[in-house]
Amino acid sequence: MEGRPSNSQSEHVELLRKIREFTRAIVEDLSNGRSPTILIDRFRNYCKNPIANCYCSSDKSYGKEILTLRRESHVHRLDVLLRVLLIVQQLLHENKHGSKRDIYYMHPSVFSDQSVVDRAINDICLLMQCSRHNLNVVSVGKGLVMGWIRFSEGRKIFDCINCPNSANPVPVYVEEVKDIISGAHYILVVEKESVFQRLANDQFCNKNRCIVLTGRGYPDIPTRRFLRLLIEKLCLPAYCLVDCDPYGFDILTIYRFGSMKMAYDAKYMRVPEIRWLGAFPSDSENYSLPEQCLLPLTAEDKRKIEAMLLRCYLQREVTPWRLELKLMLQKGVKFEIEALSVHSLSFLSESYIPSKIQGGVHI
Amino acid sequence: MAFGVRSKTKESTMAFSSVQSLTLHLISSAFQRCRLSEQICRLSVIFNRSSPSLLQLVRISISDTGIGSCLEEFQDLKLSGEADSENWDGVLSVKTTSSDDNEIHHYQLNLKERGSSRRLNRLPSNTKNGAKFSGTEVCLAVPLNIDLLLAQITSFLQKILILKIHNVAIELVAENGDVPESRYEKVFLANQLPLPIVASNLELLKSGLEDYVVKHGNRLSTTCNSCFPSGEHLKVGVGIACCTKNHLYNGVMMEAVIVISEKQLTSTCPMVYGAKTEVLYFKNFSPYTISKASIKALKSIDWRRYGLNLRSALQQDSSALLEWENLPPYAQIDIVLHCYHKDKRMRLTAREKTQLERKLIREAVKLSLDDLKDKHVGVLLSAHALKIRSYAPDLAKTIAGLILSSGDSDFQGECFSLLGLQSQGLGTETVENSIKDKIVSVIDMNDKSTQKTKDVTSFLFYDDRFHQVDFEEMEYEDDFSPLDI
Repeated sequence: MEGRPSNSQSEHVELLRKIREFTRAIVEDLSNGRSPTILIDRFRNYCKNPIANCYCSSDKSYGKEILTLRRESHVHRLDVLLRVLLIVQQLLHENKHGSKRDIYYMHPSVFSDQSVVDRAINDICLLMQCSRHNLNVVSVGKGLVMGWIRFSEGRKIFDCINCPNSANPVPVYVEEVKDIISGAHYILVVEKESVFQRLANDQFCNKNRCIVLTGRGYPDIPTRRFLRLLIEKLCLPAYCLVDCDPYGFDILTIYRFGSMKMAYDAKYMRVPEIRWLGAFPSDSENYSLPEQCLLPLTAEDKRKIEAMLLRCYLQREVTPWRLELKLMLQKGVKFEIEALSVHSLSFLSESYIPSKIQGGVHI
Repeated sequence: MAFGVRSKTKESTMAFSSVQSLTLHLISSAFQRCRLSEQICRLSVIFNRSSPSLLQLVRISISDTGIGSCLEEFQDLKLSGEADSENWDGVLSVKTTSSDDNEIHHYQLNLKERGSSRRLNRLPSNTKNGAKFSGTEVCLAVPLNIDLLLAQITSFLQKILILKIHNVAIELVAENGDVPESRYEKVFLANQLPLPIVASNLELLKSGLEDYVVKHGNRLSTTCNSCFPSGEHLKVGVGIACCTKNHLYNGVMMEAVIVISEKQLTSTCPMVYGAKTEVLYFKNFSPYTISKASIKALKSIDWRRYGLNLRSALQQDSSALLEWENLPPYAQIDIVLHCYHKDKRMRLTAREKTQLERKLIREAVKLSLDDLKDKHVGVLLSAHALKIRSYAPDLAKTIAGLILSSGDSDFQGECFSLLGLQSQGLGTETVENSIKDKIVSVIDMNDKSTQKTKDVTSFLFYDDRFHQVDFEEMEYEDDFSPLDI
């Protein structure tokens, strides 16, 4: 656990007050011979009915979960929730930060799995009506950034402009990021580190005044919050480049709409402005990819695509994305961005990306 | 049926496969006549054997001072199977009189005769000389092992005491004509403990079973002080079921009493069943052999809801024996069931009776288990509640941690006050134990059936299916390291 200045003192005080209030309510219920009834709001950022007149985009809760002492599954969840809450209370008191993994290792036999801790943290955020970073719980940052940008995080200065083709870690304490200066024309988000490194090797940011960011697969919270911060502060267009497969598409939707797991906090993390730059299923023909670069969709891929096609937000907000996804299913093939290098190693940085951005070939 | 096989061949005819079962029936009938008279009555069962050899003729006299009997009672008796071929003349000698009669009637019936006219022999009556009394004496002389019969009848009468019919005193005497000092005499009295004058059948049954348990099946004349130094070790639940949906069956009542006894850990008394429960069955105020259908009904009860794991349910003599997997060695459970018809005119087919009895047994036993749970917190907790209870220490520790590490003395004081604790000099353990006790108490309360009914109402709009879909979806999305988001 790491000690550092963090959220404002008043935020801490307020959060600690809410934790005490929550504890007091439990003690009061027990003292009155009642089972504590813990109501947890439920959020979702999509439903599975593409033609529904739903409220998924409203950021409002659509129901509540009720935890009591009547069901064993509830009691176990409550046990984990309270244990994590006690750790959070200590973190806030001592003004320290801890990672989800740190918390997991405090009671590994009870938590049994990291996902159990993750769920408890989400529950606490919902109960305390705050975001995860307010709890002083941080993830181990894994995002990377490079390009025409300079900023500070606490006392640390990130001067990417000095060396625009070098990878820098995305700051973990995004709320402390200040003094953002940029000469970029756009932000490019790439799914994979391999593509990020390809662009770095090709001196992409020297030739194109931009900021390149990667979440290295499914993006973590700091990466998404940092991207959101950059767009808000710099008002730059953002483009996303992902593999042409169901996982690439899913990652794209997480940048655009947020994840279901953290739907309660989606409004602070989603980037509605982001544009899909590629790779589109139609690119295989447009860029004449040879057959051997195309892989057949597996049964699991098809199942995932079919499930994603039902997400209401695709039909409502990004119909062209949905059409491309449908096309992927129809064609029955997928390919990685690296497949575009079949023409030449630097095809991606010298031709594919610049031409798409200049030609407005994004959706 | 107690101690033998008795069956109804026609609606009102009873056939007995052994002389023993016939004898028990005659004793039970005498007991019923006493019970119905509502006066203080005496029932005497006397065996007289002329010589000490094992299978000598034993004269049995069953006499009572109850209401007189009617001739049909005996005319309807029949012998079947072994009883018919037994080395017995089949003759019953009956003397009876009602309080309104001027004379004592005297009959002889030969149960081995087939034609009804040949069976009955009316003998000269005796005048009562204006005296007002009632009673019956039935005599028969049978070649039987007197010791075996005596054991059966003793057990039968020990069970009859459970009904707590106060107005009947029973004496059992065995005499050996040649050896006066070998006389055996035992008196069975149901009114040893004071009970309210107007006690219901169920209250009497409850009190009777309590006595039966503390006297180890009435084999002792007083409470076993080694096992039960005080009455506090008994936990009792009662239930009564009757059919309310169909007016045709309205008269059938099923009463159940369950006693959980915990003998002293220091007791050295060997007279316990251990992990087995004796289920005694009574029908129309008489010990009765529990039927297979009734045992099936007992098996079908969801005992796990009460924290009991039933290993087997078997018939043993006239009772059922339930064997448990998880009963502590110091605990014992006893159950008594009593089925009786309030309305004797009711006519049901055998199938209807069986179905109704099974239903009523299940219901009455469940009600008595629920009653026991309601009266005794923490008893008969379901396996589910026990699992939830196992979380109580950890939950209490964490909640205590949240209070004690809050650094806010006002808040701590408020919590201590809610918990009913004095603020000063409180140790962590005291706070934890107080919270744990409260959690356990809530879990125990939730486990009671009354709470369960309320749950259904308060969570009427709680839909688990909804959650299921969502979590599947979340897992689907989670095809990445837990560190990712």
